Amino acid sequence: MPARGSNRTRLLWISLLVTSLFLITLDLRGVSIISSIRSGVQAVLAPFQKAGSSIVSPLGNLFDDITNLGRTQSKIDNLKEENERLKSRLILNENIVGELEQLKGVLDLAGQARLKVVAARVITRGGTATFGETIVIDKGSNSGIKRDMTVIATRGLVGVVKSTTSNSAVILLMSDPSFRVGVRVAGTQDMGILSGGGDNRFTIEMLSATGQIKVGDVLLSRGSSGDRPFVPGVPVGKISFVESSAGQLTKQGRVEGFVNLDSLGVVSVVLDAVAGDPGDALVPRGPKPAPTVTVFVTPEPTPSE
Amino acid sequence: MTINRIPGIVAVFGLLFLLQEALINRVSFIIGGFSLYLAFFIVWIMQEERGSAVANGFIAGFIADLSPTLEAPFGLWSFVFTVVAYLIANNVRAALDSDLSPITISVVTVFGSFVASVMFLLSGAILGQEVGSASYILKELFGNAMWTFLLSPLYAPISIKLHRTTLTARNR
Repeated sequence: MPARGSNRTRLLWISLLVTSLFLITLDLRGVSIISSIRSGVQAVLAPFQKAGSSIVSPLGNLFDDITNLGRTQSKIDNLKEENERLKSRLILNENIVGELEQLKGVLDLAGQARLKVVAARVITRGGTATFGETIVIDKGSNSGIKRDMTVIATRGLVGVVKSTTSNSAVILLMSDPSFRVGVRVAGTQDMGILSGGGDNRFTIEMLSATGQIKVGDVLLSRGSSGDRPFVPGVPVGKISFVESSAGQLTKQGRVEGFVNLDSLGVVSVVLDAVAGDPGDALVPRGPKPAPTVTVFVTPEPTPSE
Repeated sequence: MTINRIPGIVAVFGLLFLLQEALINRVSFIIGGFSLYLAFFIVWIMQEERGSAVANGFIAGFIADLSPTLEAPFGLWSFVFTVVAYLIANNVRAALDSDLSPITISVVTVFGSFVASVMFLLSGAILGQEVGSASYILKELFGNAMWTFLLSPLYAPISIKLHRTTLTARNR
């Protein structure tokens, strides 16, 4: 009897494994019903994700807050002072203020490049422990968002629209290991391919053997045909390390992204690039040096005796 | 496993899927992330008898595959969950006492969750998925294992209780 039961379990196991492999094959062959199922699930999930976002938002960065708490006494004192100042103001939701700042930043960037954008709130991130980097936003095809549109934030590129439903869209972040974007170096215009690596550090490989990069070089998106998936000229990141190996045909290096992908609150989806390629106009400017004050001391004439 | 149990199992894992997608994913953990769904599933499978564990694994995996943010092909989680369910039910569970101590449950959950993640990663890589840098993978694996262990006193008792509620009189 146990042997029969065991055989039955094995038979069931094998049947289910074959079914799983069949599903994988269907998906890899691009059967549309599979992607439709996921889009349908996203449409159902979106209201729950929105509700979840409003619940979790104040707690979302709890761990970051804990790790930064009590670093130095002076920081605590400054925070206390700031807290008092904040109390005296109108009671504003910090979350909303943060989002407004991000929104202002991203609209500034879009305005500078004359991009037609639609702003959206991030309602959730992609699944953890799945080795993928995605976010979900609260705007979808009803707002004109389509697959393969560029997504930007205050300081530059965020990712690309992966799929949409009527009221939500899934964004593939540029940190996803499968993400690739053509970039050019601001100034020299040398071209390369930037790849995501999972975290906020990226790798770049130049396309030609003569292409040069150095630490601090700013990278901008190169743009795609018809501006999809990438509009040209959007800041992507800056070179943080250049690999120097004798066997390499082309230069390679590591890139630090401009946008902190872990704390995205508001992003914008580029619907249209009105003015075409903005060139290097969107390269982030460094902080302006404080003006030096020069004081000339002129000795007063002493009254002669 | 009796057919009567299937709606209960689908409801539990469906709810859990919703919780993971709408709430847990929104929390930014210090290191890596935490998959409540995966951890809950491992505890669930440890309570399951050998014959029905694989069917439970397939159902839970199929629901996990529905995630719209998933980059992996549809069916990959079904495959991984079914294999892990079989391994736990036939090898790990059989080697342990019938009365599981809380620490045993935590350790087996961390181990099972780790194995499932590695299997998902390797199967994805074989199918042509990009897997990211080694440091990223290690951070994700370590982070998930750590949170799975630390939070086990919270989710493990709920998983055990919910599992009992889905059992039919005959199963009990």
